[in-house]
Amino acid sequence: MINYILNLLTLATIYGIAASSLNVLVGYAGIFSITHAIFFGIGAYAGAQFALLVVPDIFLASMIGAVTSGVLSLLLALPALRVRGEYFVAAGLGLQMVGMTIFSEAHTLTGGHGGLVGIPAATLAGFDVSTPGLFLVICLVALIISLVVIRLLMRSSFGRALMSIRDNESAAESFGKNVPVLKTLAMAVGCAIAGVAGTLFAFNLAFVNVESFTLEQSILMLAMVVIGGVGTLSGPLIGAIFLLLLPAVLTFVPFIPPTEIGTVQQFIYGSLMAVLMIFKPSGIAGKTGDK
Amino acid sequence: MSNVLLSIRGLSKNFGGLAAVQSVDMDLQEGIVTALAGPNGAGKTTIFNLITGNLVASSGAVTLNGKSIIGMKPHRIAHRGIARSFQDLRLFTHMSVRDNVLVALEPKSWFWQPGGKAAWKKRLEDVDRALETTGLSKLAEKRAVDLSYAETKFLSLARILATGSKIWLLDEPASGLDLNSRTRFVNILRQATAQGVTICLIEHNLDVMTQLADRIAFLDQGKKLAEDVPANILRDPELIAIYFGKSQSGH
Repeated sequence: MINYILNLLTLATIYGIAASSLNVLVGYAGIFSITHAIFFGIGAYAGAQFALLVVPDIFLASMIGAVTSGVLSLLLALPALRVRGEYFVAAGLGLQMVGMTIFSEAHTLTGGHGGLVGIPAATLAGFDVSTPGLFLVICLVALIISLVVIRLLMRSSFGRALMSIRDNESAAESFGKNVPVLKTLAMAVGCAIAGVAGTLFAFNLAFVNVESFTLEQSILMLAMVVIGGVGTLSGPLIGAIFLLLLPAVLTFVPFIPPTEIGTVQQFIYGSLMAVLMIFKPSGIAGKTGDK
Repeated sequence: MSNVLLSIRGLSKNFGGLAAVQSVDMDLQEGIVTALAGPNGAGKTTIFNLITGNLVASSGAVTLNGKSIIGMKPHRIAHRGIARSFQDLRLFTHMSVRDNVLVALEPKSWFWQPGGKAAWKKRLEDVDRALETTGLSKLAEKRAVDLSYAETKFLSLARILATGSKIWLLDEPASGLDLNSRTRFVNILRQATAQGVTICLIEHNLDVMTQLADRIAFLDQGKKLAEDVPANILRDPELIAIYFGKSQSGH
């Protein structure tokens, strides 16, 4: 039981990092990305390959995951960032499909549909950190570092410039902001942090395959940000905890048959999204009165 | 004659078959307020968009201090000292009043700014000064979206004021303001021109135009019909007829 709870908390922490990284794009830079699971996945595959081929050091593997995801985000996202609004969403859908195809077909890198199996237990400077309790601590430290980095960035001139672009691109340009460059940098920063979350995810499961990086996963991450509160530091965390822990909590509700938990969960998610969008579109942690 | 900062020659812009701006020549002289007047659709805002690089000219030249800025990206033109406001204001609505001004004057958008702590302190002082001048000091921590209409107008001006730009292009900056606010607004602009700021102004309010403008360039259907001191422009019955939407035959 304790391991089950620790594992749930670990997953919530990992998705908390992923959702916070998506919030850099959606909440601060106004980039409505529905492709984030792909960059989470790139980090997972890169970190897993590093652990399999070189050394299962979780710090080094996370850095590899971050750099790979950050750099590839530049290559993949640059063409998509040239378009705006609904066209960017459509381009994002295309990017998600391209990413999924590569994950499924690039057997040497990703193991194809079978995925990468037997990822060794995580170590840190030679010490085993794979026990559930220790691994949770590692994930929590990664979450805190990610949040500190995001907060520092968003309080810097870079963060202010991103928020000005989010609020009005043409006005930001007229005050000297290089919109394409800033958006690209935001993408790289957000995807690099997602890469760290992906690596932690791979170590946690000791296995990765394409099923963890589908469009549904991208939408789940987006839902975490929207429900928790777009453009707030705590919002994505609240969203991640809520969306990941809800299914677990439902299993303890005595009058819901186990076979119906999925249906009840969908009903609660859907209702909550609708109610939030009507009465508090800024999300649980968002400022009251934001429409 | 004052020093010409910005010069426009033969500037044209076509949108498909529509000639929005046709061979316009104009000079903005240092410390001089030039108003662009004319009915809706005359091409006034399009000229602003061409100067600031938001639109690409079909033909013609725009030079700033003798150097061409045609084809430059808007952010590069902004770095060269041209600031603009928009008719629909385009504030950074979810940022605080202070951050709206701060982000407008930060020279770079990286993780750090040049000049260290001393430059940071100076920037904060500049922000405070802009807020004080525009009467927004007490609202500094409020978000732009929560301001009243008049306050948003002053915030739009505070952003430009803080940039330290030498050329301001203002698109209907005082429209919709009550008399008191309008007087304050005009006074701020007068102070700026006294300090050498060059202003090009689109304004429909004749009071504001006559109080501020040293020259008026009159446009209709993309063409510049006349440019002169306000008294002469406002005395021309033909221009006045066009301005108030009557046909030139006097109907």
